Amino acid sequence: MSIITAHNIHRRFGKGALEVHILKGIDIDIQAGEFVAIMGKSGAGKSTLMYQLSVLDEPSEGTVVIDGTDVSELREQDRTAFRLNTLGYIFQNYALVPDLSAEENVMLPLLMRGRGWLEARAAAENALASVGLGNKYKNLPAELSGGEQQRVAVARAIAGKPRIIFADEPTANLDSVSGQQIIDLLSDLHQQSKQTIVMVTHEPEYAAPCDRVLYMEDGLITKELSPSELQQL
Amino acid sequence: MRNLRIGLLLGFRQIQRASIWTTVLIIFVMTLTFLNLIAVSGVLVGLVEGAEQAVRENALGDIIISAQDDEDRILETNTVVQAITTYPEVVDYSVRYSGNAIAEANYKERRDLSGERDTASLIVQGIDPAREDSMSNLSHLLRDGSYLEADEEGYILLGAYYLKEYADDFGDIFDTIDAETGDTIRLTVGDVSKEFVIKGIIESKVDEVNLSAYIPEREFRRVFGRLDRNADQIVMRLADPAQNQAVAEHMRESSIGNYAKIQTYEESLPKFLIDIKNTMNVLGTFIGSIGIVVASITIFIIIFINAVSRRQQIGILKGIGIERKVIEIAYVAQAAFYALTGSLFGALLTYAVLIPYFAENPIQFPFSDGILVADPEGTFWRFLTLFIVTLIAGLIPAWLIARQNTLNSILGRK
Ligand SMILES: Nc1ncnc2c1ncn2[C@@H]1O[C@H](COP(=O)(O)OP(=O)(O)OP(=O)(O)O)[C@@H](O)[C@H]1O
Ligand SMILES: [Mg+2]
Repeated sequence: MSIITAHNIHRRFGKGALEVHILKGIDIDIQAGEFVAIMGKSGAGKSTLMYQLSVLDEPSEGTVVIDGTDVSELREQDRTAFRLNTLGYIFQNYALVPDLSAEENVMLPLLMRGRGWLEARAAAENALASVGLGNKYKNLPAELSGGEQQRVAVARAIAGKPRIIFADEPTANLDSVSGQQIIDLLSDLHQQSKQTIVMVTHEPEYAAPCDRVLYMEDGLITKELSPSELQQL
Repeated sequence: MRNLRIGLLLGFRQIQRASIWTTVLIIFVMTLTFLNLIAVSGVLVGLVEGAEQAVRENALGDIIISAQDDEDRILETNTVVQAITTYPEVVDYSVRYSGNAIAEANYKERRDLSGERDTASLIVQGIDPAREDSMSNLSHLLRDGSYLEADEEGYILLGAYYLKEYADDFGDIFDTIDAETGDTIRLTVGDVSKEFVIKGIIESKVDEVNLSAYIPEREFRRVFGRLDRNADQIVMRLADPAQNQAVAEHMRESSIGNYAKIQTYEESLPKFLIDIKNTMNVLGTFIGSIGIVVASITIFIIIFINAVSRRQQIGILKGIGIERKVIEIAYVAQAAFYALTGSLFGALLTYAVLIPYFAENPIQFPFSDGILVADPEGTFWRFLTLFIVTLIAGLIPAWLIARQNTLNSILGRK
């Protein structure tokens, strides 16, 4: 069953003579439970594509249907609610609220979904424990290492059990050990709970646990590989 | 509800993690604003109110009975006094007779009959010394000498403005004589003259008192030939001054109303005093409004800088599905916190320190003991204005930043 169906996605920036055409008509179909990697050279348009798929941006042309909803038809407020209820995000720069403790950061989307305080806290502590931060609930982001912060971000993304998790270079700012930890977390999640994950990465070895690798060049998906084919690249 | 709770969580965590000195500074600014709003107009109004209080205490009391408009004096004064004493609310009263007389100071030393006579025209009040003292504390206003005794004769108290020595401070505007305590002066009413020894000098913040001379009523009647025993004014003090409206109304409907005019203290106030008071209030509000503008700009800048520097974070919050409203609430909550704590300190300072302090140590003005007046209702409305303006000053920058495109905020794009 398709969970993401994108058809003929174009994204242009600017107007008239200054217009740049970044995404040039992309078709994507991602199945529920798939772990998909998007790779490609810098500037190929990977992040731009992620924003279209994850309802953070609107394509200039084309449609994105997620979990049966045509998101291009949603109004701003509904897009926010859709992101809250259906999607989880792991950003490159951890993106935690610096004033909130690790636990409160994870609780935030849960509270926003209307969970009670205690219930949200229990779920947050669960999620933190599952990323190996069982003893750091009360730490502020500044009191955590980069790898730990990114694990908090993973916990925040998974705590609400979203339909899809988007991760744009989640390991870019981490050393290889911490980076591998994050990849392991995602791959466990994928294997144990059939979590749908879409991830951008530059490292072929991080794409190893993925089901499919989409290769982008100049605004188009030019190749679709299996991780083993990736090694020959 | 949910939005409010999450907004408050975000807002208060931000305050909690902010530098304590920044927070203290902002609260300090808000406290000053509050004081500016409450205390400045409070002192201005207090000036006038202090004057009013002095008049109420030293001269007019809570209810004033005087002659009806078409009469010279209070009719059937005795009956009226009898009636007054039946009111349990009346705790003190004084019956006053008054008339004009010429006082002459240097008539004994003046050998040369063609030399200039030292005279002044006085308003003389005939009083029962004990009653008057208990009513208006007259004996406490003595600047010099001593107070009248009930049974003695031939003594007079002079208001300070009648004496050259005191009145000179005010320039040459009063009709004065050059005399001091112990001197003998001659009082002349029509063709009756009598000598009085100046027993004391009275000085008050109230001009009417400074421009009065006091003698016992028995002597007054003799000198002024007032055989009908009808008085000019009866003033009284009530156990609860706030009841004067009701008591006066009752008196008007009773027999007293047939013989005299009954006014509450407030009714007897000259209009100009009320006008001044209102003017001071407007002036104070105006000065306070400038304070509000300054405070709201301060809050605006603080919240603006705060929100701009967290633009990316705000974008991410929206990215993971936090509603704009929540983010706005977070910043408005901070503004509310500053306004509330600032006002709280301001109110504490006003009511626990400033008002008691000025009550103890009034600012000395010639016409009044300046006190600080801040009635709770007025304070509340001013606080509410400050509060709402602050909330708006916090909301606008938060709204400006939170409405920006989510992705642009996250990526730091324009
Ligand atoms: N708002 C924009 N206006 C103009 N050009 C843009 C805008 N956003 C992205 N681009 C351009 O689109 C191209 C693709 O950008 P994108 O961020 O998607 O690349 P990427 O594949 O994620 O690269 P990287 O691996 O470096 O992250 C780049 O050339 C970039 O300059
Ligand atoms: Mg990118």
